[in-house]
Amino acid sequence: MKGSSEHGETSKAPLGRGVSKGVSVLDLILRFIAIIGTLASAIAMGTTNETLPFFTQFIRFKAQYSDLPTLTFFVVANSIVCAYLILSLPLSILHIIRSRAKYSRLLLIFLDVAMLALVTAGASAAAAIVYLAHKGNVRANWLAICQQFDSFCERISGSLIGSFGAMVVLVLLILLSAIALARR
Amino acid sequence: MDGGKAPVAAAPPAAAGATASSSSSYATAPTNGNGATAAGSDSKAGRRGLPLLLRSGADGFRRCLGVIDFLLRVAAFGATLAGAISTGTADERLSVFTQFFQFHARFDDFPAFTFFLVANAVAAGYLVLSLPLSAACVLRPKKGGARLLLLLCDTVVMALLAAAGAAAAAVVYVAHSGNLRASWTPICMQFHGFCQRTSGAVVAAFLAVLVFIVLILMAACAIRR
Repeated sequence: MKGSSEHGETSKAPLGRGVSKGVSVLDLILRFIAIIGTLASAIAMGTTNETLPFFTQFIRFKAQYSDLPTLTFFVVANSIVCAYLILSLPLSILHIIRSRAKYSRLLLIFLDVAMLALVTAGASAAAAIVYLAHKGNVRANWLAICQQFDSFCERISGSLIGSFGAMVVLVLLILLSAIALARR
Repeated sequence: MDGGKAPVAAAPPAAAGATASSSSSYATAPTNGNGATAAGSDSKAGRRGLPLLLRSGADGFRRCLGVIDFLLRVAAFGATLAGAISTGTADERLSVFTQFFQFHARFDDFPAFTFFLVANAVAAGYLVLSLPLSAACVLRPKKGGARLLLLLCDTVVMALLAAAGAAAAAVVYVAHSGNLRASWTPICMQFHGFCQRTSGAVVAAFLAVLVFIVLILMAACAIRR
Protein backbone atom coordinates (compact mmCIF):
# COMPACT_ATOMS: atom_id res chain seq x y z
CA MET A 1 0.00 0.00 0.00
CA LYS A 2 2.80 2.35 0.92
CA GLY A 3 4.65 1.58 -2.29
CA SER A 4 1.61 2.09 -4.50
CA SER A 5 0.76 5.38 -2.80
CA GLU A 6 4.33 6.54 -3.31
CA HIS A 7 4.19 5.49 -6.93
CA GLY A 8 0.92 7.33 -7.42
CA GLU A 9 2.32 10.39 -5.71
CA THR A 10 5.45 10.54 -7.83
CA SER A 11 3.50 10.06 -11.05
CA LYS A 12 0.99 12.78 -10.15
CA ALA A 13 3.46 15.18 -8.56
CA PRO A 14 4.82 17.03 -11.64
CA LEU A 15 1.32 17.47 -13.11
CA GLY A 16 -0.09 18.58 -9.76
CA ARG A 17 2.69 21.06 -9.23
CA GLY A 18 2.28 22.39 -12.76
CA VAL A 19 -1.44 22.92 -12.29
CA SER A 20 -0.82 24.68 -8.95
CA LYS A 21 1.74 26.97 -10.52
CA GLY A 22 -0.64 27.65 -13.40
CA VAL A 23 -3.39 28.56 -10.98
CA SER A 24 -1.08 30.94 -9.12
CA VAL A 25 0.13 32.59 -12.34
CA LEU A 26 -3.46 33.02 -13.50
CA ASP A 27 -4.21 34.56 -10.09
CA LEU A 28 -1.44 37.12 -10.64
CA ILE A 29 -2.63 37.99 -14.16
CA LEU A 30 -6.22 38.45 -12.97
CA ARG A 31 -5.01 40.73 -10.21
CA PHE A 32 -3.30 42.95 -12.77
CA ILE A 33 -6.51 43.11 -14.80
CA ALA A 34 -8.53 44.06 -11.73
CA ILE A 35 -5.98 46.76 -10.82
CA ILE A 36 -6.32 48.30 -14.27
CA GLY A 37 -10.11 48.15 -14.11
CA THR A 38 -10.49 49.81 -10.70
CA LEU A 39 -7.81 52.42 -11.43
CA ALA A 40 -9.43 53.37 -14.74
CA SER A 41 -12.85 53.66 -13.09
CA ALA A 42 -11.59 55.80 -10.25
CA ILE A 43 -9.71 58.14 -12.59
CA ALA A 44 -12.55 58.39 -15.09
CA MET A 45 -15.05 59.25 -12.38
CA GLY A 46 -12.68 61.50 -10.47
CA THR A 47 -11.85 63.76 -13.40
CA THR A 48 -15.42 64.60 -14.34
CA ASN A 49 -15.97 68.28 -14.65
CA GLU A 50 -18.49 69.85 -16.98
CA THR A 51 -19.51 73.46 -17.21
CA LEU A 52 -22.40 74.42 -19.41
CA PRO A 53 -22.14 77.65 -21.38
CA PHE A 54 -25.58 78.78 -20.28
CA PHE A 55 -27.62 78.54 -17.13
CA THR A 56 -31.29 78.70 -16.37
CA GLN A 57 -33.13 79.63 -13.24
CA PHE A 58 -33.53 76.11 -11.85
CA ILE A 59 -30.54 74.08 -13.04
CA ARG A 60 -26.98 74.91 -11.98
CA PHE A 61 -24.51 74.99 -14.81
CA LYS A 62 -21.60 73.00 -13.35
CA ALA A 63 -21.38 69.30 -12.64
CA GLN A 64 -18.67 67.38 -10.83
CA TYR A 65 -18.51 63.94 -9.33
CA SER A 66 -18.39 65.45 -5.84
CA ASP A 67 -21.85 66.95 -6.23
CA LEU A 68 -23.32 63.49 -5.79
CA PRO A 69 -22.04 61.85 -2.57
CA THR A 70 -22.66 58.39 -3.97
CA LEU A 71 -20.18 59.02 -6.79
CA THR A 72 -17.65 60.18 -4.19
CA PHE A 73 -18.16 56.86 -2.41
CA PHE A 74 -17.61 55.12 -5.77
CA VAL A 75 -14.25 56.86 -6.29
CA VAL A 76 -13.15 56.14 -2.72
CA ALA A 77 -14.19 52.47 -2.87
CA ASN A 78 -12.42 51.90 -6.17
CA SER A 79 -9.27 53.58 -4.86
CA ILE A 80 -9.27 51.41 -1.75
CA VAL A 81 -9.74 48.23 -3.78
CA CYS A 82 -7.01 49.29 -6.22
CA ALA A 83 -4.59 49.95 -3.36
CA TYR A 84 -5.45 46.58 -1.77
CA LEU A 85 -4.87 44.74 -5.06
CA ILE A 86 -1.49 46.41 -5.53
CA LEU A 87 -0.51 45.49 -1.96
CA SER A 88 -1.62 41.89 -2.49
CA LEU A 89 0.62 41.40 -5.53
CA PRO A 90 3.67 40.34 -3.41
CA LEU A 91 1.49 37.76 -1.64
CA SER A 92 0.36 36.41 -4.99
CA ILE A 93 3.94 36.17 -6.21
CA LEU A 94 4.79 34.33 -3.00
CA HIS A 95 2.10 31.79 -3.83
CA ILE A 96 3.72 31.14 -7.19
CA ILE A 97 7.10 30.52 -5.59
CA ARG A 98 5.91 28.59 -2.54
CA SER A 99 2.81 26.56 -3.27
CA ARG A 100 2.45 25.28 0.25
CA ALA A 101 1.41 28.54 1.89
CA LYS A 102 -1.94 27.85 3.58
CA TYR A 103 -2.52 30.68 6.03
CA SER A 104 -1.63 33.39 3.54
CA ARG A 105 -4.10 31.90 1.05
CA LEU A 106 -6.80 31.95 3.70
CA LEU A 107 -5.99 35.57 4.54
CA LEU A 108 -6.06 36.43 0.84
CA ILE A 109 -9.48 34.81 0.39
CA PHE A 110 -10.90 36.70 3.35
CA LEU A 111 -9.57 40.06 2.13
CA ASP A 112 -10.70 39.33 -1.43
CA VAL A 113 -14.23 38.64 -0.19
CA ALA A 114 -14.29 41.88 1.80
CA MET A 115 -12.99 43.87 -1.18
CA LEU A 116 -15.55 42.18 -3.45
CA ALA A 117 -18.33 43.38 -1.16
CA LEU A 118 -16.86 46.91 -1.15
CA VAL A 119 -16.38 47.23 -4.90
CA THR A 120 -19.80 45.71 -5.61
CA ALA A 121 -21.44 48.16 -3.23
CA GLY A 122 -19.64 51.12 -4.79
CA ALA A 123 -20.36 50.11 -8.38
CA SER A 124 -23.99 49.29 -7.70
CA ALA A 125 -24.73 52.49 -5.78
CA ALA A 126 -23.13 54.54 -8.55
CA ALA A 127 -25.15 52.59 -11.12
CA ALA A 128 -28.37 53.42 -9.27
CA ILE A 129 -27.48 57.12 -9.27
CA VAL A 130 -26.46 57.03 -12.93
CA TYR A 131 -29.79 55.40 -13.76
CA LEU A 132 -31.58 58.15 -11.85
CA ALA A 133 -29.55 60.77 -13.70
CA HIS A 134 -30.52 59.22 -17.04
CA LYS A 135 -34.19 58.55 -16.46
CA GLY A 136 -35.19 60.62 -13.46
CA ASN A 137 -38.13 59.56 -11.36
CA VAL A 138 -41.69 60.56 -12.10
CA ARG A 139 -43.15 59.73 -8.71
CA ALA A 140 -40.55 61.58 -6.66
CA ASN A 141 -40.35 64.45 -9.12
CA TRP A 142 -36.65 64.03 -9.76
CA LEU A 143 -35.42 65.47 -13.05
CA ALA A 144 -33.16 63.57 -15.40
CA ILE A 145 -30.04 65.73 -15.37
CA CYS A 146 -28.46 63.90 -18.30
CA GLN A 147 -30.53 65.95 -20.65
CA GLN A 148 -28.39 68.95 -19.82
CA PHE A 149 -25.04 67.39 -18.90
CA ASP A 150 -24.22 65.13 -21.82
CA SER A 151 -20.51 64.52 -21.47
CA PHE A 152 -20.73 64.31 -17.67
CA CYS A 153 -23.32 61.57 -18.00
CA GLU A 154 -21.29 59.71 -20.58
CA ARG A 155 -18.24 59.82 -18.36
CA ILE A 156 -19.99 58.53 -15.27
CA SER A 157 -21.75 55.82 -17.26
CA GLY A 158 -18.54 54.62 -18.88
CA SER A 159 -16.57 54.54 -15.65
CA LEU A 160 -18.91 51.91 -14.26
CA ILE A 161 -17.70 49.34 -16.77
CA GLY A 162 -14.21 49.01 -15.30
CA SER A 163 -15.62 48.59 -11.83
CA PHE A 164 -18.06 45.86 -12.82
CA GLY A 165 -15.29 44.09 -14.70
CA ALA A 166 -13.11 44.20 -11.60
CA MET A 167 -16.01 42.71 -9.65
CA VAL A 168 -16.21 39.70 -11.99
CA VAL A 169 -12.42 39.31 -11.83
CA LEU A 170 -12.54 39.31 -8.02
CA VAL A 171 -15.13 36.50 -8.05
CA LEU A 172 -12.78 34.50 -10.30
CA LEU A 173 -9.87 35.24 -7.96
CA ILE A 174 -11.81 33.92 -4.98
CA LEU A 175 -12.70 30.79 -6.93
CA LEU A 176 -9.05 30.24 -7.90
CA SER A 177 -7.87 30.66 -4.32
CA ALA A 178 -10.50 28.18 -3.12
CA ILE A 179 -9.45 25.65 -5.77
CA ALA A 180 -5.81 26.10 -4.74
CA LEU A 181 -6.79 25.50 -1.11
CA ALA A 182 -8.78 22.40 -2.00
CA ARG A 183 -5.92 20.84 -3.89
CA ARG A 184 -3.73 20.52 -0.79
CA MET B 1 32.04 39.91 52.95
CA ASP B 2 28.55 40.40 54.15
CA GLY B 3 27.49 41.16 50.59
CA GLY B 4 29.30 38.03 49.52
CA LYS B 5 27.61 35.95 52.15
CA ALA B 6 24.14 37.32 51.47
CA PRO B 7 23.90 36.22 47.86
CA VAL B 8 25.35 32.85 48.85
CA ALA B 9 22.73 32.63 51.52
CA ALA B 10 20.12 33.71 49.04
CA ALA B 11 21.26 31.24 46.42
CA PRO B 12 20.62 27.98 48.28
CA PRO B 13 17.02 28.85 49.15
CA ALA B 14 16.43 29.74 45.52
CA ALA B 15 18.10 26.50 44.45
CA ALA B 16 16.05 24.65 47.02
CA GLY B 17 12.96 26.35 45.70
CA ALA B 18 13.92 25.43 42.16
CA THR B 19 14.59 21.85 43.09
CA ALA B 20 11.38 21.77 45.06
CA SER B 21 9.42 23.03 42.07
CA SER B 22 11.22 20.66 39.74
CA SER B 23 10.60 17.81 42.12
CA SER B 24 6.99 18.83 42.29
CA SER B 25 6.85 18.93 38.52
CA TYR B 26 8.50 15.51 38.43
CA ALA B 27 5.93 14.40 40.91
CA THR B 28 3.07 15.66 38.80
CA ALA B 29 4.42 14.39 35.50
CA PRO B 30 3.82 10.70 36.10
CA THR B 31 0.30 11.41 37.32
CA ASN B 32 -0.31 13.56 34.26
CA GLY B 33 0.98 10.81 32.07
CA ASN B 34 -1.17 8.31 33.87
CA GLY B 35 -4.11 10.59 33.58
CA ALA B 36 -3.45 11.13 29.89
CA THR B 37 -3.16 7.46 29.15
CA ALA B 38 -6.26 6.81 31.21
CA ALA B 39 -8.13 9.48 29.30
CA GLY B 40 -6.80 8.11 26.02
CA SER B 41 -7.98 4.64 26.81
CA ASP B 42 -11.28 6.08 27.94
CA SER B 43 -11.67 8.01 24.73
CA LYS B 44 -10.74 5.02 22.63
CA ALA B 45 -13.14 2.82 24.46
CA GLY B 46 -15.91 5.44 24.45
CA ARG B 47 -15.29 6.95 21.01
CA ARG B 48 -18.39 5.42 19.61
CA GLY B 49 -20.30 6.85 22.54
CA LEU B 50 -19.03 10.40 21.99
CA PRO B 51 -21.46 12.75 20.23
CA LEU B 52 -20.80 13.65 16.62
CA LEU B 53 -19.37 17.08 17.32
CA LEU B 54 -16.91 16.23 20.07
CA ARG B 55 -14.82 13.79 18.07
CA SER B 56 -11.36 15.13 17.74
CA GLY B 57 -9.38 15.85 14.63
CA ALA B 58 -10.16 17.54 11.36
CA ASP B 59 -13.54 15.84 11.02
CA GLY B 60 -14.80 17.20 14.31
CA PHE B 61 -13.61 20.67 13.37
CA ARG B 62 -15.37 20.45 10.01
CA ARG B 63 -18.54 19.17 11.63
CA CYS B 64 -18.51 22.00 14.15
CA LEU B 65 -18.07 24.53 11.36
CA GLY B 66 -20.84 22.83 9.45
CA VAL B 67 -23.33 23.21 12.28
CA ILE B 68 -22.48 26.90 12.69
CA ASP B 69 -22.77 27.23 8.90
CA PHE B 70 -26.27 25.72 8.97
CA LEU B 71 -27.43 28.03 11.77
CA LEU B 72 -26.00 31.11 10.07
CA ARG B 73 -27.78 30.17 6.86
CA VAL B 74 -31.09 30.06 8.69
CA ALA B 75 -30.35 33.47 10.23
CA ALA B 76 -29.43 34.98 6.85
CA PHE B 77 -32.58 33.49 5.34
CA GLY B 78 -34.59 35.29 8.00
CA ALA B 79 -32.85 38.59 7.31
CA THR B 80 -33.25 38.46 3.51
CA LEU B 81 -36.87 37.35 3.74
CA ALA B 82 -37.62 40.16 6.18
CA GLY B 83 -35.98 42.67 3.84
CA ALA B 84 -37.91 41.42 0.83
CA ILE B 85 -41.27 41.42 2.60
CA SER B 86 -40.62 44.81 4.16
CA THR B 87 -39.87 46.37 0.79
CA GLY B 88 -42.71 44.61 -0.97
CA THR B 89 -45.31 45.82 1.48
CA ALA B 90 -44.03 49.39 1.72
CA ASP B 91 -47.02 51.27 0.40
CA GLU B 92 -47.87 54.71 1.56
CA ARG B 93 -50.63 57.05 0.61
CA LEU B 94 -50.55 60.61 1.83
CA SER B 95 -53.62 62.48 2.87
CA VAL B 96 -52.38 65.73 1.38
CA PHE B 97 -52.40 66.40 -2.30
CA THR B 98 -50.42 69.19 -3.91
CA GLN B 99 -49.94 70.30 -7.48
CA PHE B 100 -46.50 68.73 -8.01
CA PHE B 101 -46.36 65.70 -5.74
CA GLN B 102 -48.08 62.44 -6.37
CA PHE B 103 -49.54 61.16 -3.14
CA HIS B 104 -48.78 57.46 -3.45
CA ALA B 105 -45.42 55.73 -3.07
CA ARG B 106 -44.67 52.07 -3.70
CA PHE B 107 -41.56 50.04 -4.39
CA ASP B 108 -42.70 49.86 -8.02
CA ASP B 109 -41.94 53.51 -8.54
CA PHE B 110 -38.23 53.03 -7.93
CA PRO B 111 -36.45 50.48 -10.14
CA ALA B 112 -33.70 50.23 -7.51
CA PHE B 113 -36.23 48.95 -4.98
CA THR B 114 -37.62 46.46 -7.48
CA PHE B 115 -34.10 45.13 -8.04
CA PHE B 116 -33.62 45.07 -4.26
CA LEU B 117 -36.79 43.04 -3.77
CA VAL B 118 -35.91 40.56 -6.49
CA ALA B 119 -32.33 40.13 -5.26
CA ASN B 120 -33.47 39.54 -1.68
CA ALA B 121 -36.01 37.00 -2.85
CA VAL B 122 -33.33 35.21 -4.91
CA ALA B 123 -30.96 35.19 -1.94
CA ALA B 124 -33.66 33.82 0.38
CA GLY B 125 -34.54 31.10 -2.12
CA TYR B 126 -30.87 30.19 -2.59
CA LEU B 127 -30.37 29.94 1.18
CA VAL B 128 -33.32 27.58 1.51
CA LEU B 129 -32.01 25.42 -1.32
CA SER B 130 -28.49 25.32 0.11
CA LEU B 131 -29.64 24.10 3.53
CA PRO B 132 -29.67 20.39 2.48
CA LEU B 133 -26.19 20.74 0.97
CA SER B 134 -24.95 22.35 4.16
CA ALA B 135 -26.49 19.55 6.22
CA ALA B 136 -24.77 17.01 3.97
CA CYS B 137 -21.45 18.74 4.63
CA VAL B 138 -22.05 18.23 8.34
CA LEU B 139 -22.86 14.55 7.99
CA ARG B 140 -20.07 13.70 5.53
CA PRO B 141 -17.20 16.01 6.34
CA LYS B 142 -14.71 14.43 3.98
CA LYS B 143 -16.35 15.48 0.72
CA GLY B 144 -14.63 18.66 -0.45
CA GLY B 145 -16.41 19.21 -3.75
CA ALA B 146 -19.71 20.18 -2.15
CA ARG B 147 -17.94 22.77 -0.01
CA LEU B 148 -16.23 24.28 -3.04
CA LEU B 149 -19.55 24.55 -4.88
CA LEU B 150 -21.15 26.09 -1.81
CA LEU B 151 -18.32 28.61 -1.55
CA LEU B 152 -18.66 29.66 -5.18
CA CYS B 153 -22.44 30.04 -5.01
CA ASP B 154 -22.17 31.91 -1.71
CA THR B 155 -19.73 34.37 -3.29
CA VAL B 156 -22.00 35.07 -6.25
CA VAL B 157 -25.13 35.50 -4.12
CA MET B 158 -23.22 37.69 -1.67
CA ALA B 159 -22.14 39.96 -4.52
CA LEU B 160 -25.73 40.13 -5.78
CA LEU B 161 -27.06 40.99 -2.33
CA ALA B 162 -24.37 43.63 -1.76
CA ALA B 163 -25.20 45.20 -5.12
CA ALA B 164 -28.93 45.30 -4.38
CA GLY B 165 -28.37 46.69 -0.89
CA ALA B 166 -26.04 49.38 -2.18
CA ALA B 167 -28.42 50.45 -4.96
CA ALA B 168 -31.34 50.69 -2.54
CA ALA B 169 -29.11 52.54 -0.05
CA ALA B 170 -28.16 55.08 -2.73
CA VAL B 171 -31.81 55.78 -3.54
CA VAL B 172 -32.74 55.92 0.15
CA TYR B 173 -29.90 58.39 0.72
CA VAL B 174 -31.11 60.65 -2.06
CA ALA B 175 -34.67 60.33 -0.72
CA HIS B 176 -33.46 61.37 2.74
CA SER B 177 -31.09 64.17 1.82
CA GLY B 178 -32.03 65.24 -1.66
CA ASN B 179 -29.45 66.74 -3.98
CA LEU B 180 -28.89 70.44 -4.41
CA ARG B 181 -27.03 70.32 -7.70
CA ALA B 182 -29.49 68.06 -9.47
CA SER B 183 -32.52 69.70 -7.85
CA TRP B 184 -33.78 66.45 -6.38
CA THR B 185 -36.08 67.09 -3.42
CA PRO B 186 -35.91 64.79 -0.38
CA ILE B 187 -39.20 62.93 -0.49
CA CYS B 188 -38.75 61.40 2.95
CA MET B 189 -40.09 64.54 4.49
CA GLN B 190 -43.50 63.55 3.20
CA PHE B 191 -43.31 59.76 3.06
CA HIS B 192 -42.17 58.83 6.57
CA GLY B 193 -43.34 55.24 6.76
CA PHE B 194 -42.12 54.33 3.28
CA CYS B 195 -38.66 55.69 4.04
CA GLN B 196 -38.44 53.91 7.40
CA ARG B 197 -39.49 50.60 5.89
CA THR B 198 -36.99 50.73 3.07
CA SER B 199 -34.16 51.93 5.31
CA GLY B 200 -34.76 49.00 7.65
CA ALA B 201 -34.79 46.59 4.71
CA VAL B 202 -31.43 47.94 3.51
CA VAL B 203 -29.94 47.39 6.98
CA ALA B 204 -31.25 43.80 7.00
CA ALA B 205 -29.71 43.16 3.58
CA PHE B 206 -26.30 44.38 4.71
CA LEU B 207 -26.49 42.20 7.83
CA ALA B 208 -27.14 39.26 5.53
CA VAL B 209 -24.06 40.25 3.49
CA LEU B 210 -22.01 40.17 6.69
CA VAL B 211 -23.33 36.70 7.49
CA PHE B 212 -22.43 35.59 3.96
CA ILE B 213 -18.85 36.80 4.41
CA VAL B 214 -18.58 34.74 7.61
CA LEU B 215 -20.04 31.72 5.76
CA ILE B 216 -17.48 32.02 2.97
CA LEU B 217 -14.61 32.31 5.44
CA MET B 218 -15.81 29.24 7.33
CA ALA B 219 -16.10 27.25 4.12
CA ALA B 220 -12.53 28.23 3.19
CA CYS B 221 -11.32 27.15 6.66
CA ALA B 222 -13.13 23.83 6.32
CA ILE B 223 -11.59 23.23 2.89
CA ARG B 224 -8.13 24.03 4.18
CA ARG B 225 -8.16 21.54 7.04
